Amino acid sequence: MMEETLKRIQAHKGVIGTVVINAEGIPIRTTLDNSTSVQYAGLLHQLTMKARSTVRDIDPQNDLTFLRIRSKKHEIMVAPVLKAANPF
Amino acid sequence: ERPRAALGALASASASLHALIPPGGAGPGRSGSAPAPPLRPRKSCQTVRISTVESAAQSHTSRDAGVQTDQSKDAVQDFQQEVRVDYTSLLSFLQRVEDAVIKELNKNWKSRAFDGFEVNWTDQNETVLCLHTLSYPEAQDQNLQVTSVSWNATGSVVACSYGRLEGGDWSTEKSYVCTWNLDRRGLNPQRPDLVVDVPSSVMGLAFHPSQPSLIAGGLFSGELVVWDTSRTEDPVIWRTGLTGDTHTDPVYQVTWLPDAKHRNRSRLLSVSTDGKILVWREEQDGRLALAEGFAMVAQQIPRSTRLKKFPWGEAAVGVTSLSFSHFDPREFIVGVEGGYSLKCSTAAATPALHGAGGSVPLRAPAELAFSPHSGPIYSVSCSPFHRNLFLSCGTDGQVHLHSMLQTQPIVSLQLSKKYLFCVRWSPVRPLVFAAASGEGDVHLFDFEKSSHKPALSLKQAAGERPVYCLEFNVKQSRLLAAGDATGAVRVWQLSSDFTEQGPREMSRLEQLASEVMD
Repeated sequence: MMEETLKRIQAHKGVIGTVVINAEGIPIRTTLDNSTSVQYAGLLHQLTMKARSTVRDIDPQNDLTFLRIRSKKHEIMVAPVLKAANPF
Repeated sequence: ERPRAALGALASASASLHALIPPGGAGPGRSGSAPAPPLRPRKSCQTVRISTVESAAQSHTSRDAGVQTDQSKDAVQDFQQEVRVDYTSLLSFLQRVEDAVIKELNKNWKSRAFDGFEVNWTDQNETVLCLHTLSYPEAQDQNLQVTSVSWNATGSVVACSYGRLEGGDWSTEKSYVCTWNLDRRGLNPQRPDLVVDVPSSVMGLAFHPSQPSLIAGGLFSGELVVWDTSRTEDPVIWRTGLTGDTHTDPVYQVTWLPDAKHRNRSRLLSVSTDGKILVWREEQDGRLALAEGFAMVAQQIPRSTRLKKFPWGEAAVGVTSLSFSHFDPREFIVGVEGGYSLKCSTAAATPALHGAGGSVPLRAPAELAFSPHSGPIYSVSCSPFHRNLFLSCGTDGQVHLHSMLQTQPIVSLQLSKKYLFCVRWSPVRPLVFAAASGEGDVHLFDFEKSSHKPALSLKQAAGERPVYCLEFNVKQSRLLAAGDATGAVRVWQLSSDFTEQGPREMSRLEQLASEVMD
C-alpha cells in the first residue's frame, strides 16, 4: 500500500526522485542512490525545520504545510509531517 | 601596555576594597593577614613581577603515517535496516500528503509563472573582450601561422604551435611550440615562457589531461613528439621517430586517451591523412611504440542505402579530425577528406584491408557514415552534454549538427563563404559552440538565441586572415583561445551569457536532438 503510494508519486510526470525522511533526518525510503539520499535528507531536514520555525514564529497559530525550492535546474518539493508528536 | 592596564585595574579594585572595609577590619583578599591592629597602614595589592620564559619546541624528525578505517564487512550497508520504522504511522502520513504532493506536481507542470524568470547571483559581465594577444615575433617574421592551440590541465597555460597551413615549402622549415602562463605576473604577450624549436611543422598540439607540463605534438613529417615543459634542458621526452609504423602523411590531430587499465595514465592517439588512427605506448627508452591502430579503407566504410553511391579514392579517407564521445569511451567520430563524418568504435574487430605490414595489425573502425559535406571536413566535436550530438565543419563553410542516430544532419548552418577550420562545443553551455572561419572570425553560436545565425561574431584578425584553431578553457570557463594566420593567439574572455547555463537548457538540447526524421 505504501509502495503503491510512493510509486504513484514517483511515476508522476517530471519527478526525478522521491525520498521519505524520518524525524531524525534519515532517509527511510528512496528512489535515488544512497549517498545522494543521505545528502538530501540531511540538508532538507534542517531547512524544513528552519522554515517551519519561521512560519510559527511569525504566527504561532500557523504551521508549515509545504515547502518548494526552485533552482535553475529543477525544483525540490517538501511535504512535512504536521504533528511533530508523531515521529516514526 | 596590557600588564599596566591590569595593574591599573587592580589598583582601582583595591581602592574600592579600601572603601568597603571599615578601618580595623581585615578584608578578603589580603593574603596572610593576621588579626589587624586598629590602625593600619595602607597597603595595596600588586602582583609580583610576572616572569616569563620563551621556549619553542620543534620536532626534528618526522614520519608520515596514514590512518584509514577499513569498511567493516559486518556493517549493514542498507541504511533502511538500522532505523526502526513505524509503518502504520508512515502509511497514514503518506496517505495524507499524497494528495497535496500530486496537486503541487500538477500545478508545477502547468505553471507558467516562472517562464523566462532568471536569477543571477554572480556579477553580470556583459561584454566579450580580448584579454591577450599572444605571439612569437620570430615566428611571425617567418610568416608562420598558428596551426593549433591547447590549454593545459590546470587551465593556466596556453600553448600554440607554429607551422604553415596554406601552401609553401615547409619541409625544411623549422617551427615552434610556444607556451604562455596567463596567471603569471609580468606576462609579456610577445615573449612566450617557453619556446621549443621543432625541425618540422607542428600541425596538432595537445596538453596531457592530468600532468600539467606534458604536451604532445603531431608533425608534418608524420612523427609524434612529447615534450616536458618543466625541463630546462632538452624538453623532448618521447618521440616516435621515423619507423615503419609512423604515419606517412602529416599528423593533423593528437589526443590523449584515458587508459582503461591504469587510471592515471593516458595514451597518445594520432590521426593523419594517410587514413590511419594510431595509439601509442610509452617505452622506457623515450620511444613511442605502436600499441594498437585503425585504418580507414574506402571499401570498408559502411554505406547507408540512403547515401548515393560515391566514387571513393584511397585519398578520400585521409583523416583530418577526431572526437571521442564523452559518454561512451569506445565511441568516436572522425572527419575525412572525402567530406564524410563517420561513427567508429575502438572495439571494432574487423581487420583493415592493407592493414598488415606494421608491427601491429590495424583494424577497420567505421560503423556508420553520415551525410557528407561538399568538401573535406576539418573539424568534428562531440557534445559534452548529449550522447548523440556532434558537430562537423569543413571547406564548404558549413557546420552540420548531427545526431548519431541518423545519417542526415539535424541542422546545417552556412557560417562562412570561405572555409571553416575548427568547431568546438562549449564545455559549460549545452547549446553553445564556437567556429573559426576563413574570413578571420570566431563565430559564437547559441541555439537558445537563434538557430540561423551566430549570437556573436568576433573579429580576430584583420584583412580576412583565417582563424585556424580554437579551444575553450575547461578549467576557467570564461576563456577561449583562438589562433590565426597572422601568427597570433587571442585569448577571449566570454560574457556571462556564454558561460552560465540557463534553466531548461538541457531540455531544449534534448528537444533539438530528438528532431530526427525517419
